[in-house]
Amino acid sequence: MQWLKRIRIVVAIIFFLALTLLFLDFGNVIPIEIHTFFVSTQLVPSFMRTLVVLSSASFGLFFVLIITVLFGRVYCSTLCPLGILQDIVIRIAKRMNRRRRFIYKEQHYILHYSLFVLTGILAFSGSVILLNLFEPFSNYGRILSNLMSPFIVLANNMFGYILGLFGFMFLFQIPILHINPVSVLASLCILALVTYLSYNHGRLFCNLLCPAGAFLGLLSRFSFFKIVIDKNNCKECGLCERVCKANCIKSSSMEIDFAACIGCFNCLDACPTIGMSYQGRWTKLSDTSKETDGGRRNVLRISVLPALGLLMPVIGVDSAVGRSQNGFNENRKHPISPPGSLGVGRFSTLCTACHLCISSCPTQVLLPSFLEYGIAGVFQPKMNYDASYCNYDCVLCSQVCPTGAILPLDISSKKEIQIGKAQFIKDDCIVVSKKKDCGACSEHCPTKAVTMVPYEKKLMIPEVNNEICVGCGACEHACPVQPNKAIYVSANQIHQKAKKPQSKKAEPSFDSSQEFPF
Amino acid sequence: MDRRAFFKKGLGASVVVGAVLAGKYQNLFAAPYAANDLPFDLVAVKGGEPDVMLKKGMEAFGGIGKFVKKGQKVVVKPNIGWDVTPERGGNTNPKLVAEIVRQCRTAGASEVYVFDHTCDNWQRCYKNSGIESAVKDAGGKIAPGHTEGYYHEISIPTGKSITSAKEHELLLSSDVFINVPILKNHGGTRLTITMKNQMGNVWDRGTWHRTDLHQCIADYATYRKPTLNIVDAYYVMKQNGPRGVSVEDVVTMKSLLISTDMVAIDTASAKLFGIDPADVRYIQIAADQKVGRMDLENLRIKRLNV
Repeated sequence: MQWLKRIRIVVAIIFFLALTLLFLDFGNVIPIEIHTFFVSTQLVPSFMRTLVVLSSASFGLFFVLIITVLFGRVYCSTLCPLGILQDIVIRIAKRMNRRRRFIYKEQHYILHYSLFVLTGILAFSGSVILLNLFEPFSNYGRILSNLMSPFIVLANNMFGYILGLFGFMFLFQIPILHINPVSVLASLCILALVTYLSYNHGRLFCNLLCPAGAFLGLLSRFSFFKIVIDKNNCKECGLCERVCKANCIKSSSMEIDFAACIGCFNCLDACPTIGMSYQGRWTKLSDTSKETDGGRRNVLRISVLPALGLLMPVIGVDSAVGRSQNGFNENRKHPISPPGSLGVGRFSTLCTACHLCISSCPTQVLLPSFLEYGIAGVFQPKMNYDASYCNYDCVLCSQVCPTGAILPLDISSKKEIQIGKAQFIKDDCIVVSKKKDCGACSEHCPTKAVTMVPYEKKLMIPEVNNEICVGCGACEHACPVQPNKAIYVSANQIHQKAKKPQSKKAEPSFDSSQEFPF
Repeated sequence: MDRRAFFKKGLGASVVVGAVLAGKYQNLFAAPYAANDLPFDLVAVKGGEPDVMLKKGMEAFGGIGKFVKKGQKVVVKPNIGWDVTPERGGNTNPKLVAEIVRQCRTAGASEVYVFDHTCDNWQRCYKNSGIESAVKDAGGKIAPGHTEGYYHEISIPTGKSITSAKEHELLLSSDVFINVPILKNHGGTRLTITMKNQMGNVWDRGTWHRTDLHQCIADYATYRKPTLNIVDAYYVMKQNGPRGVSVEDVVTMKSLLISTDMVAIDTASAKLFGIDPADVRYIQIAADQKVGRMDLENLRIKRLNV
């Protein structure tokens, strides 16, 4: 049965590399279809997205559910990037100490499922805080975009600089604008936690904290194929238990806790005899499968709750949106959520802060927030007009968003979304304070919601028409006034519709049949 | 090649402080011609495609060889400020830029670089303006200008509002500089033509906006005088400039102006656009600071039809 492990490793490498590259692809060279393909296989984001918008990306969710029902939690060892990251750490740990071995441990089901149920309840009532903290794909994304991507960019810039000295200009300099130190620190903590747990305890993260692991564990109880120990052929050597990263094989009593099994097939590979097999249901199970111990019964009882939780989505999400739309204090200065997120409230209940949009954004206007969306929305991206502004003709973030927190947009519908409104503080404007022409805001405005109108003497001063403002932040970004900009965008808590800019046909003053006016 | 060259040149002067170093470069663009060698002060062409008008206009000057010598490094600075397509009139016409690159190459230029410090995302601007592919097809090189690292401190001793700026390294290391703006409306300064286009040469534009935009534009024009200025007035954005909202903002003028004098060409362009050049304050200031001449009636102007 060695081929099962080999297949697992090959698939794992493909997915791990692909998902890693998606987060490091700062030049946006990877086509969007490839993004969608790989990201759609990620359980939690795909699940959320399916609840929000049923699209071809939901295929990935059904695929994961089907393979889990058929083969157990193979997802955890092949498709989950954080799982594979742990496998890499475990491999290194093994290299460092060849005598390292795993032993069976009672699974922390009560803790794990309590956390899972709490995560679910919170998520459906509008707070993704626990998902945000423990969801594996988002954590992996944050580790890459916060910790690794800056180094890749720095390396690019260094090589680009050196190559530039020799006349090669194909590697250009990339500014790093999207760094939030708190988010970096948090990602570092999660990386440290995951590394520590996997180095010392195998896949404990997956069987203690991970919501995807908990959910798939419920399914894998009923999976068609299971790993079983054949009591007649087992030589009781215990090799299977030693290699089990999930600590779920109890070789002394020849039992396997398949709900905790992450489908790595190391045991099948390690078994020197035919004492272990991966069997379909039709195969008559020998007396191995007497599954009664207290722990499991408890789990079955507990698992009813999450099952109920699963029935909540239809009502749950709607009420979550409704709740959080009114859940903010109107007097607070709000963060601005990206176009396609429909509003700050909805966005913060659906975004698991994987930062894929942040690493994809060509203008780097997206920045990890800290507490701006409230504690539940920690590290969710916000528009950062200090660094940049939202390109009028770009919808990339909406196309890559794995959870549907940013809904897919086409360019023309994006242009009708108003995420905020430009607010002009006349007294601070250069034209008023210094009596000099400027116009940087109006210059950058893609809809001419900010226009220049005659002011004193021959000066021109900005005027804002909020009906056609999309809130892209170009005016705010361009405004040269320091330290506080004389024009800024105030968030629309719920995104509104921007009118299409109307302009009359320009009057021709000269055409080539006339004589030059000089 | 530009940066290596820049560093080679920089090495010699590296013991001297930055300001002095920048001062050394001021003579780098010593014109390969004497102004009165040229048959005209200004050539205006109308009625043809951008590339055809350029050919005709340059013939009147005696060919681009008057300005570009064999083996020289040329930098062309079109307006590529915005992520819009050519017919929106927000960026210099790609056909014109390509023809300039082609002519420079034919004249024997060793390298022809094209860059701009864009306003919108630079990669999108380069691509959607059509200029990136046009330049590559014509044998030129498109260079980035989107981070501060590409810009180096220069001093502007003649400046009134600003006395220094950070200028793109290509300008500091090239032999010939061709400034190729598109004529269009500009909300802040009324018009953007050659002198305003030079804001794309520098990094710290915020300071200009903050200080006194017209004066800063003129100040920089006293320091950086292009070898040649070519104004694209094929598609002209009459309103909502400089970015524009739709093609409704654009009229077709099918014209092209060429001059070595930024003030003269901006004055003529303003008239073509239909506003009084004296109303564009930076033109007046630059004329007062002797950057060039506004008295078109006393200049030798060649008017051509295609």
